[in-house]
Amino acid sequence: MAATTEMGSKKPASGGSSELAKRFRSNIQTYTIILALVAIWAFFALLTGGAFLQPQNISNLFRQMTVTSFLAIGMVFVIVTGNIDLSVGKLAGFVSVVVAYFQANIWYNLIPNQPVIAAILSVIIGLGVGVLFGIMQGYIISFLAVPSFIVTLAGMFVLTGLILLVTQGKTIPANQPGFDLIAQGYLPPLAGWIIAALVIAFLVWNMFRSRQRKRQHGFELPSIALDLATTVFYAALVVAYVYMVNQYKGIQVPVLLLAVAALIMSYVSNNTRFGRYAYAIGGNREAARLSGINIKRSVFLIFVLMGLLAGVAGIVLASYVGYGTIAAGQGYELDAIASAILGGTSTLGGVGTVFGALIGSLIMTSLTTGLQMLNVQPAWQYLVKGLVLVLAVYADVSFKKNR
Amino acid sequence: MNDDIILDIRNVTKRFAGVTALSDVSLQIRRGEIHGLCGENGAGKSTLMKILSGVYPYGTYEGSVFYEGKELKLEGGSIRQAIASGIAIVYQELTLVPTMTVGENIFLGKEPVENGSINWDKLYAETRDILAKYQLDVKPQAVVRYLGVGKMQMVEIAKALSENAQILILDEPTSALAEAEIEKLMEILDLLKSHGVTCIYISHKLDEFFRITDSVTVLRDGKTVTTQPTQDLTKEKLVSYMVGREMKERFPKGNRKPGEVIFSVENLRAHDPNDTSRIVLDGVNFNLRKGEILGIAGLMGSGRTELVTTIFGEYGKIMQGTIMLEGRVIAAHSAREAMNQGVSLVPEDRKGQGLVLMQSILKNISLANLDQFASLFRIDADAEMAASLQQAKNLAIKAPNLGVPCDSLSGGNQQKVVIAKWLLSNPKILIMDDPTRGIDVGAKYEIYKLMNDLTEKGVSIIMISSELEEVLGMSDRVMVMHEGHSTRTLDIAEATQERIMALATGIALN
Repeated sequence: MAATTEMGSKKPASGGSSELAKRFRSNIQTYTIILALVAIWAFFALLTGGAFLQPQNISNLFRQMTVTSFLAIGMVFVIVTGNIDLSVGKLAGFVSVVVAYFQANIWYNLIPNQPVIAAILSVIIGLGVGVLFGIMQGYIISFLAVPSFIVTLAGMFVLTGLILLVTQGKTIPANQPGFDLIAQGYLPPLAGWIIAALVIAFLVWNMFRSRQRKRQHGFELPSIALDLATTVFYAALVVAYVYMVNQYKGIQVPVLLLAVAALIMSYVSNNTRFGRYAYAIGGNREAARLSGINIKRSVFLIFVLMGLLAGVAGIVLASYVGYGTIAAGQGYELDAIASAILGGTSTLGGVGTVFGALIGSLIMTSLTTGLQMLNVQPAWQYLVKGLVLVLAVYADVSFKKNR
Repeated sequence: MNDDIILDIRNVTKRFAGVTALSDVSLQIRRGEIHGLCGENGAGKSTLMKILSGVYPYGTYEGSVFYEGKELKLEGGSIRQAIASGIAIVYQELTLVPTMTVGENIFLGKEPVENGSINWDKLYAETRDILAKYQLDVKPQAVVRYLGVGKMQMVEIAKALSENAQILILDEPTSALAEAEIEKLMEILDLLKSHGVTCIYISHKLDEFFRITDSVTVLRDGKTVTTQPTQDLTKEKLVSYMVGREMKERFPKGNRKPGEVIFSVENLRAHDPNDTSRIVLDGVNFNLRKGEILGIAGLMGSGRTELVTTIFGEYGKIMQGTIMLEGRVIAAHSAREAMNQGVSLVPEDRKGQGLVLMQSILKNISLANLDQFASLFRIDADAEMAASLQQAKNLAIKAPNLGVPCDSLSGGNQQKVVIAKWLLSNPKILIMDDPTRGIDVGAKYEIYKLMNDLTEKGVSIIMISSELEEVLGMSDRVMVMHEGHSTRTLDIAEATQERIMALATGIALN
C-alpha cells in the first residue's frame, strides 16, 4: 500500500535536513494514526506482559480484522464522495448466509463430491449477490436521487428480513472442505518468504523507477538517502511481519486477499480517473460537474464496488465462522465507518485513504483483542472504542487548527 | 469634516510564523466618515479587519487600537464582543441562513424572548422598523434564499445595524453586485452617513472610492502607504500607491485581428431546467469572430450567466434557436459534450464552481481533461505532470510546486489555476464569466495579458463582466443583455458606459 501512496504523490521536495520534517508535515494525518497504533500496541504489550505481541496473537489479530477491513476500504470511497452506506454489515451478513445455504442445501445434491467446484461456485454466487445489491442501491441513490443515508438505511431493514427468510431463524453450516481455506488457510513459510521477496523487489524497483522518471521530466528529486531509508523501512516491516506469522502458521490467506484488494483499491484511488473523480465529487460537486464529470455514473459505480467488497467480506465471514447465522454482520457497518474515519476519511467528503482505513481497522481490532486479553467486559470495550474514536478525530481537528 | 477620531490604530504589527502580515500600520478613522481602504490582495486589509473583529484577539499583535478613546481589548474565540462594542463587519461572502426569513436572520442569536419562547410579533415589528429606518427595500418575512444578491447584502447591513453598530466595515461589498445594485448600495451608505454611522469601505473597484468615500488609506505589503482625502486623489495616483509603481494602462493593448465569424447564436430561447414555465432566455442573438473578445454586459439577473451556462450544456433547456460553431449546429447537453466540441467555461464562482480547493494545483488543472492522459486503468502521471507544468508556466502561477493545495493560493493565482484547467482542453471558444472578480490589480493585468495572448493565437473569448470599465477596456465588441434577451452588439468605438447602461436598463432599445 505504501508503495502506491508514494507513487501517487509526486510532490517534489527540496533537499536539506528539513526534508524529513516536510514529508512528515505533509502526511501528518497518516503518521498520527500510525503513532496511535504503536502506542496502543505498546500499552497492551505492557499490560499483558508481552503476550499481546506473541506470534499467535499477532496472526489472529490480522486475521480478525479482515472482514471489516474489506468493508472499510470500500467505505472510504463511499464517504469520500460525500455519501454513506449503512447496509454493508447486513449485506455481508446476507452474503454469508446465502453462501452457507448453497453449501448446506444445494451443492451436495447438484454436484456431489466436488468440493473445489462447490467452493468456487459459492464465491461467485456470493460476489454476485453483493454486486446485485450494490447495483440496486447505487441506481436508486444516483439516478433516482434518493439520499444514500436513507436508501442504505432501508437496505439494512430489507437485508435483515432477507437474512431471516434464508435462515428461517436457524444456523446454517458453511464448512465444506476447500471453502474453509478462504479465511482459515495459511501459506507454507517458504511461500511467505517468496512473497516477501517479491514485495521488497517491487518496492526497490518502484523507488528507482519513480526517481528515474522524475529526473526524465526535470522534476525536483527527494534525496536518495531519504528515499532509501523509506524503502528500507517498508521492507523491514514486510520482513518483520512474515517472520512473525511464520512463527505461528504462516501468512494467513484472508490477510493476503485483503492486501491484494487494498493494493488494487489504493491504486484505483490514486492512479485512475475513477478514483480521481470520486475525490473531486466529494471535494466540490459543482466544480466536478462543470469539469464534465458524470457524477451519477461515478456514484453508481462506487456503490456497485461497495457491493462487490461487501460480497467479498460476506464470503470471508462465512468461511471464517463456518456458519451463516441470523446475527451475521450485525454492526459491521459501524466498525467499517469508524475505521475509515479513524484513518482520516473526512465525513464532509473529498479526503481519505485506503491505507488509513486499514490502519483504522487495525486499531479497532487491536482494541477488541487487547481488551479481551485483559478480560475487560464487552460493555467497557464499547466504551473504550467510542472514546478512542472521538479522541482520534479531536486530535486530528486540533492538529489542523494549530498547523 | 471634523477631527473627532472614533478609531485610532497605532503602530500595529502582526506576525505569523515567519511572515509579517502587518508592519507598523497606523490609521485614523474620523467619526461619521466613509473611509476607503485599498490595496492589492495580500496587502494586509483582511488581517487588519480580523484584528478589529477580534478574530486575532488583543495580545496576538503588537501596537494598539483605540476605539472611542479607549484601548480595544478583544478576547479571542468570539466575535460577539466586537459586535457588542459597536464594530460590525459585512463580509464579502454573505453569512445569512438561506432557509430563514429576513427577520430571523437579522435577529439570529438575539431573538426577543418572553417566558422562554420567541416573541415573533416583536421580532418582525423591529425588523420592519430597522428596514424602514435605513430605507431598505426588503420584506421582513421574505425567505432569504429567494432574494437576489443585492437584497441579501441589504439584509446583512440591516443585521449589522440592528446591533447599534457605530462602525460598519464593508469588505468588498460590490464584488457580486451589478451596476444598479451598486448604485442602490451607494445610496444606502450615504443614508447611513447621515445617521452618523462610520464606515470602513474595502474594495478592489477604484471608482467606488471616488463615488462614496471621504478619505482613502492605501496599504501595500502590510504597510500604510498613505491616507489622503479622496478629493486630492486620482485613479492613477491610487493605482501607483497600490502597486508601488506607475501603471500607465490598466488594460494592456492587444495586437489582435479578429477573423471571420466562427460561432453564432440565433433566436435562443430556453427555460430553467427545474421549472419549465420560467423562461430565462428569450431572443438571444449574437456572433463571435475568430480571435475576438466579445464582452457581455448586463445587470445581475439579465441572463448573462444563464446564457453562457446554457451554451455550455449545464443549465437551461433549449426550446428554440440554434448555436453554430464553424458552420455546424452544436447542442451540448453536458459540460463534457461542450468541451468535446471546443467550448470551455471559466465559471463565475471560482471557489464554488471552479476549484476543488482542498486538492493540489496539479489535480485541479488536470481534472477536466484526464482523458488526455488516462486509459481505463491508469493515469499517466508523468504526462499529467508535464502538461500541467506547462500550463502553470504559461500562466505564471506562483506556487512552490504543483502539489500545493489551492486553498493556500491567493485569489489571482486561484483564478489562473481555473483558467489553466480550461485551457488544457485547447478550446476554440473560451467563455469567461467574470474572470477578474475579487482579484487584485496586478493579477487582473496578468489575466488581461493572457486574454490578449490567447486571441492572438486564434482563440475566441466571450467575457462577462460586471465592471463596465473592464468590458470597455478589453472587448472588441460588446453585447448588452436585458431581461433575458440580447439588445444590441456595439462596436467598441461606439460603446460608452452611458450607452451600455441605457441598453442594460432598458431605457434605450438600440
